[in-house]
Amino acid sequence: MKSVHKYGVTLFLVLLVALSPSCKNRSNSDSKKIAIIVSSLNNSWFVFLAQSAAEHAKLMGYESKIFDSQNNTAIEADNFENAISSGYGAILLNPTDSEGSVANVLKAKNAGIPVFCMDREVNSTDDATSQILSDSYSGCVDLGKYFVKTTNAKGNYVELLGIVADNNTWARSKGFHSVVDYYPGLKMVAQQSADFDRNKGLEVMESILQAHPDIVAVFCGNDAMAMGAYQALVSAGKADQVKVVGFDGAGDAIDGIKDGKILATAMQFPKVMAQTAVEYAVDYFNGKRDFPKKIQIGVEVVTKENIDNYIAYGKKN
Amino acid sequence: MTKKIIKYSVIFLLIGFVAYNSVYFKSLSQLKAEDEAKNFDATKYAEDYLNKELPALFNKVPDVDTLMSLLKAEPKKAFKLYSNAMAIGNVKFFMTKGAGTVNSISDNEIILLTAGKQRFTVATEFIFGNALRDASGIIKVEDFTNSADLNNVSAEINKLVRQKVLPPFKGKVKLGDKVTFIGAFELNQEHINLKNIEIVPVKIAVQ
Repeated sequence: MKSVHKYGVTLFLVLLVALSPSCKNRSNSDSKKIAIIVSSLNNSWFVFLAQSAAEHAKLMGYESKIFDSQNNTAIEADNFENAISSGYGAILLNPTDSEGSVANVLKAKNAGIPVFCMDREVNSTDDATSQILSDSYSGCVDLGKYFVKTTNAKGNYVELLGIVADNNTWARSKGFHSVVDYYPGLKMVAQQSADFDRNKGLEVMESILQAHPDIVAVFCGNDAMAMGAYQALVSAGKADQVKVVGFDGAGDAIDGIKDGKILATAMQFPKVMAQTAVEYAVDYFNGKRDFPKKIQIGVEVVTKENIDNYIAYGKKN
Repeated sequence: MTKKIIKYSVIFLLIGFVAYNSVYFKSLSQLKAEDEAKNFDATKYAEDYLNKELPALFNKVPDVDTLMSLLKAEPKKAFKLYSNAMAIGNVKFFMTKGAGTVNSISDNEIILLTAGKQRFTVATEFIFGNALRDASGIIKVEDFTNSADLNNVSAEINKLVRQKVLPPFKGKVKLGDKVTFIGAFELNQEHINLKNIEIVPVKIAVQ
């Protein structure tokens, strides 16, 4: 009798182990809360992205909470732990680091929670359920064309790069160079990172101008750096001679184009990205599982010729 | 007897469980696709697209006068029937073909006037962007796991046009020539501006 009991318990344990993944999936699919984990709430662009996602989740009848990773993958890991243990059914992620965030995405995947990346990608094709990204490369191809035309393909120029570990930095730089490098009359005299930061953009540009005062243009990987670079040019008395190009479609840059301070920017559409991510999460709750691994959101070049069509962050007049 | 049945059932289940989680199967086609993805040749892909896949579609491409009239009269219908794009957003791409008389020539472009009195630009210098890749709708974003490969396809298509399609044409074209072409252009469906259409040619010749 004792042996029968022992075998019965073993059989029960084996069945429990064998069936455990399906149980886990079932409990997660019951959860309908959405966690929005954002790289930094110290940047108005990401605040807008997070708030757009939260508003759209509310509109669709779902509870959501915004978590700030403060540009730190360790804090992002804590946010994932919290989201998983608090029973969130889906995570909308704006990753802190293309490589460093993969482990966090994997943690959620192993817990049966889908992760939808917004704006920034992780360097893994399988772990995120879907990645919804701006087509930064193509946007910078178009900016490159405009840059070549307006400089008449002649002169020295500077490039300010974003965070070196972020894929967007290189997608933007490569898109730009895929056009500009065809024109030997345009010579890049300096290429430095300013971490997507306005103050660093100012400092780096001030330093570059001391070594290379004879430039005709500066291409920046985002609008914050472009505004910093513009400030440095004003201080050096060169604002009227040097063309400044940014990327994002932030309010400062849109006003800068209107005022003739900034030559052009590329408008991203954070609201479209956030809404698509929320809708994918809701589709997941409703049983959909076959999501495209990557979705690109189009980027539009904004110049003085079409500025009336745009206001900050892609919202149209 | 009962003990034996339970014992063998447990052993059978344990062996089954371990075996199921130790072995996995992949189809040969899946393995081949993964291998191809690792060694993606954007130049070869672009050559096949321009020389084989795209020409098969040329007889279905709308005439430029017909397309412009539809874009003016019923833009939504025109976008629905004839535009394609890989990215979500307002920018869409059209294929078109036609003939026109050369009205002006500059370093970067020629201006053509069609029989239907349409006036538009054909790019001869700035051959960049996704118009030729996206407009046909043949290439699907789902076929690419790596966005760098997708970007390289555009770059290689444009390079082939710059190297092979345009030089013989640019060396020959003069004001007043009649030109036939097949190409692609982009248009923002939220802010339609038919005055600044710039066609990127995939085939262009002086008649």
